[in-house]
Amino acid sequence: MSGFEPRIVAFLCRWCASAGADLAGTNRLAYPPNAIPIRVNCSGRVEPQWVVEALKAGADGVLIGGCHPGDCHYVAGNYKARRRVYLLRKVLAELGIEPERVRLEWVSATEGARFAQVMSDFVAELKRLGPLHGNGGPK
Amino acid sequence: MKLAVYWTGSCGGCDVAFLELGPALLDLLPKLEIVFWPALVDAKRADLEKLPKHGIDVALVNGVLRTTENVEMAELLREKSRWLGAFGACAHLGGVPALANPGEGIAEVVFGPGFRPAPPLGEAPEDAPPELLPEALPLEEVVPVDFVVPGCPPPAGLIARFFAVALAEEIQPGQVFAAEKALCEECPRTREERRLARLVRPHEALADPTKCLLDQGMVCLGPVTRGGCAAACPKAGMPCTGCLGPTPKAGDPALAMLSALASLVRAGEEGEPAFPEEDRILEGLVDPLGTLYKYAFAKYGRPLRRLARRRQEVRA
Repeated sequence: MSGFEPRIVAFLCRWCASAGADLAGTNRLAYPPNAIPIRVNCSGRVEPQWVVEALKAGADGVLIGGCHPGDCHYVAGNYKARRRVYLLRKVLAELGIEPERVRLEWVSATEGARFAQVMSDFVAELKRLGPLHGNGGPK
Repeated sequence: MKLAVYWTGSCGGCDVAFLELGPALLDLLPKLEIVFWPALVDAKRADLEKLPKHGIDVALVNGVLRTTENVEMAELLREKSRWLGAFGACAHLGGVPALANPGEGIAEVVFGPGFRPAPPLGEAPEDAPPELLPEALPLEEVVPVDFVVPGCPPPAGLIARFFAVALAEEIQPGQVFAAEKALCEECPRTREERRLARLVRPHEALADPTKCLLDQGMVCLGPVTRGGCAAACPKAGMPCTGCLGPTPKAGDPALAMLSALASLVRAGEEGEPAFPEEDRILEGLVDPLGTLYKYAFAKYGRPLRRLARRRQEVRA
């Protein structure tokens, strides 16, 4: 798998994870540029259908970034996201797709360094798993 | 109206479903000329081949496409018919037989490793049984489908409505003979709880006669499934399993239902300490694919499954 650069779609909540990603940028932290970030209002807004659509459309992995437990701007959206990811990973495993390709992480607005670390870890994990779409994406 | 009804990979229930029309059949039958219907009248493929193009007004196909012969017959019926419809959940979405798709080669699973079909008994190659397709497919994967009469089997009310519309020559392209709105709209049960403290399978609990089945922890697919059956199963105490297919808004019914279930599950006060208990409740969803994709796997779950399978082949 030499030279394989995983493609990641990252759904980041506006209040925590997305702000954390911004902080990583303003602090000039280096991390792998493999993700296409999509800002959503809340991790609880991320539909399992979006995650699957991303995988079908060419992503090797999907990251959902939300607020730490207790910090959700909408009180409980991150808990909802956690339960959805739990079930979705079960379904993906049954279909023969590694559940590790869908990752949920808590990143606060002050955790720029943690965001960079999460991205590095996820890219390393996806490199280990290999591409989901064979050579260079669907079709 | 010249009618053809054909079965591919089917249990036969769809052919029987026409009898549910009851006395209305007596009025209906004189208006129909049955040109091809293997379950009722003796006609062979050769008879179908002799028909002119558009020699059939309306053809209804029930069953999943499982063999090469199924595909050939679907193509032949398409050529001979003005209107071709998917009748029942198998032709519409893949149905229960399409749950064979996740397996690694159905013949090996059923007959054991190393299974090979025997050579044909006769000398002629056409005596050989048709080959299994690598995947069970809904009708629309092979030929353009003009309309759908959904259900497992289609309820009598929807069959009656279909015939009324077809005889009036008023079928709309793409028409699905079921409601646009969710089954819950037709269900007489009352919804109260907005949280699920447990998930149960139908045999594990006696359903309260008036409360919403989902509120009682049963995985009822009513919220993501088209109405049109007057909520027959929930009225009888059984959760909806989704045979009429998803509402236009639901998209992939399994993922939509997964989302709804995950939203409703609660283990006391929400928060980190509740996570293990929440996971335990979610584990109560036994067999997620078979439950959430009971009928719709071929249409909605198969693209991801195909992705996984192709990747396994590349690696091997």
